[in-house]
Amino acid sequence: MIIQRFKKTVLTTAVCLSFALSTVTSAQDANVNATWDDLLESAKGQQVYFNAWGGGEQINSYIQWVANTVEEKYGVSLTHVKIGDIAEVVSQLQAAKAVGRDSDGNVDLMWVNGENFAAMKNGGLTWGAFARALPNTKYVKDTPSIKFDFSVPVDGLESPWGGAQLVFIYDTEYLKQPPASALALLEHVKAGGRFAYPAPPDFHGTTFIKQLLIELSEQSTALASPVEQADFEAVTAPLWAYLDQLHPLLWGNGESWPASAAATMQLLDDAELDIALSFNPNEASAAVKNGQLPETVRTYVFENGTIGNTHFVTIPYNAKAKAGAMIVANFLLSADAQARKANTEFWGDPTILDVSKLPAEDQARFEALDAGPWALPLGAGKTLAEPHASWAAALEQAWLERYAN
Amino acid sequence: MPAFGLLPELASGNGFNQLFNEPRFWPALILSIKTGVIATLLVLLITLFTLICVYGTRLWQWLFAWIPSLLAVPHAAMAVGLAFMLAPSGWLARWVSPGISGWERPPADWVVPDAHGWSLIFGLVVKEAPFLLLTAAAQLQSINVDASLRIGRTLGYAPARCWSRLILPQLYPRIRLMLMVILAFNFSVVDMAIILGPGNPPTFSVLLMSLINDPSSRAAASAGALFMAFGLVLLFVVLWLLERLIAGIASGRRESGQRWVGHILWRRFYSAFIAAFFALSSISIVLLVIWSVAQRWRFPAVFPTQYTSRFWLGKVDQLTSPAVLTLSFALFTVVSVLVAAIAWLESERRGIVPKLDWLWYVPLLIPQVTLLFGLQAASLLFFIDGKWLTVAYIHWFYAMPYAVLILAVAWREIDPNWHSAAAVLGAGYWTILFRVRIPMLIRPIAQAAAVALAVSVAQYLPTLLLGAGRYQTLAIDLVTSFGGVDKRAIAVLAVLQSLLPLLAFVLALLVPRLVFRSRLAH
Repeated sequence: MIIQRFKKTVLTTAVCLSFALSTVTSAQDANVNATWDDLLESAKGQQVYFNAWGGGEQINSYIQWVANTVEEKYGVSLTHVKIGDIAEVVSQLQAAKAVGRDSDGNVDLMWVNGENFAAMKNGGLTWGAFARALPNTKYVKDTPSIKFDFSVPVDGLESPWGGAQLVFIYDTEYLKQPPASALALLEHVKAGGRFAYPAPPDFHGTTFIKQLLIELSEQSTALASPVEQADFEAVTAPLWAYLDQLHPLLWGNGESWPASAAATMQLLDDAELDIALSFNPNEASAAVKNGQLPETVRTYVFENGTIGNTHFVTIPYNAKAKAGAMIVANFLLSADAQARKANTEFWGDPTILDVSKLPAEDQARFEALDAGPWALPLGAGKTLAEPHASWAAALEQAWLERYAN
Repeated sequence: MPAFGLLPELASGNGFNQLFNEPRFWPALILSIKTGVIATLLVLLITLFTLICVYGTRLWQWLFAWIPSLLAVPHAAMAVGLAFMLAPSGWLARWVSPGISGWERPPADWVVPDAHGWSLIFGLVVKEAPFLLLTAAAQLQSINVDASLRIGRTLGYAPARCWSRLILPQLYPRIRLMLMVILAFNFSVVDMAIILGPGNPPTFSVLLMSLINDPSSRAAASAGALFMAFGLVLLFVVLWLLERLIAGIASGRRESGQRWVGHILWRRFYSAFIAAFFALSSISIVLLVIWSVAQRWRFPAVFPTQYTSRFWLGKVDQLTSPAVLTLSFALFTVVSVLVAAIAWLESERRGIVPKLDWLWYVPLLIPQVTLLFGLQAASLLFFIDGKWLTVAYIHWFYAMPYAVLILAVAWREIDPNWHSAAAVLGAGYWTILFRVRIPMLIRPIAQAAAVALAVSVAQYLPTLLLGAGRYQTLAIDLVTSFGGVDKRAIAVLAVLQSLLPLLAFVLALLVPRLVFRSRLAH
């Protein structure tokens, strides 16, 4: 059994390596198209299961558009498997790996980043350096947050899809001067303001407490290294002191929590909250155009900046339709797909392409995009780096121990 | 098995240790016991009070025309409707704002879902009370209620006394098993608890769901699933002790022979309450329909300020595939359940299998989480997870008990002389089955089919756990999107999910009539 599994691992690694090597060598060849053409050929008719968070109406519609387009263009049939939390899928893959189910997996492509990517990379659940072989990868920006996912080297194991930054949305009808720092926020709720954030381990809730931690901790440099190397208690003490004060004054008294960041937007529209959270600087625009928020909303960030990161797609090691998944990943990087994604009519997710590298007509498509007054004004607010991926789980655990009982 | 660390391939470590180290363990367990027990007691009380106060009135007939439609609406859809109704910015608050209440903004005095589980309890009672009421009503004939009421009255007891002294002691043993099913359900429900239950800590079953989805906590989840089954057994024991206690008190009071005058005012008050209660749940469904076509609808407007059809028409692509998938499982379930239930009852009638009614209660008495965690592990080991047939099977598994229990009564009551008469006329077994027995029982068969369909359409957890996330039925889509997608899109899903079983119930009423008419025409 063990020998068998070892063989399989060797085999898989060998396949991955040879694949990576062949594409690297062929990239130096003049014959690069042959490989990609072969891939296109074998992808035809493949059924690709794309496991991605399904909680955003516009995102779901966008993925549906991707599915229709790749079907038409490449004959790849894409199914969006909507899930609540990608950690579930990582868990399924771990179970599959444990029982030795190394082929014919249930997932061909998945939307990940941060600690989930770190878990996949550590567990050998990613397939290989496929992202380097994608033709469109040459247009991608060359920034740290694309090369390092929460301080973990990406190594081509995942392909970038979009950028993100923590932003706050408020309704000018009810709130004139939004609080622009952690301390101002505390003052705001003390004065009767209505605020709430989703309870960790919800992704946005965790991001929000990471944001507070960066702002409040006197030792925030420790956050760039793995949590095991830091004095967790000392680094996080100011955070807990702050939350102890904040929680009783929240919407729901620190006992009930909004189900998600999207729920805070709904609650903002219902006027139950003054401020909503989002991880997309353009989300408010998209929401206004979609009739989800009133035209009186505006987006802002804290004066010292907010956390930003990149989200990616990856192919699991046991995916069934790897060729099809690569075709889809490549299409997601195309100017066509990225411009539509950045358009607030459809989604409004910031692009990871370096627009200046694109052909002129594609550049024009990005320049034509106007997010309107509701989105975060371009260039407003600094972007802060994510803490190392290991901090998320430690913070979530500590938060739960303090506030979940 | 993973709970004890026996299947390290699926889950590592000792689950019980991990479980007890989980900070949310005790609060979640206590919350589940609280919501489960209170909801079940309220269901029982409402059922009994409705029998006492409403039985035999015009409201009674009205309720019974209405209840099947309430039962048809899936739990998740009803939960969404109630959430939209009861929130501070919900429909109830809007009707009185800002005029009567003075609320320019939604009040900040409560939130839905609340941290103490009352929203969830409310939702459970709304769904389960009609169910128990229907079960109890079906038993009334066999215990001769009208005669008991007459005798009681001539002895000088008020109607309420007749019920509590004469009828309830006979009725209770007949609905006890169904009450236990309801307790098991309330204690372990997942979909409704995700929508209406507290989030932090969540109910025990929802906590287990998040544990099983966390790679490092699978063993803890398995241990929790066993713990859940064990807890339920304890609750059953408590229920039984409570029964003994009440029976003891009641028999003492029965012998005292005291006679008091019943309060007619109290009956009126309760009738109004119960009418409002049932109306509220029906109105929530209407509310969903309105939300599904709203473009802008801010507090405190009572109706949307702008309407749109794009959440229906613009999403045809996204709605068709879950709807078709849901329908495919539902149709499979209806056909397979009917065939299996009829085969079972026929075998029972001909003495091939013994009469085993209790057997069909077993799946309903085990918490879904417990059973499904086990089945999921098994399906992973046998490589049958994520297969269409695996999911279809589990739908069949959960629909079958209801179909058998509905059909059994009618099947056994049919006069054997019909069979003999047909046999004398030279009809073979199959001819008799298809030309006599089934047409005679078309009404209960149609009901069983409708219930099987409703059960299948509502299956959230079984589809999720055994489908490996591949089968995006309406139930899955609805519960997954509740946390995020905006209200209009959720409302569309909830309406669509309710529509299928509602149509089935309407058909179940119409088809037998049509069949009879066509047979009369021959």
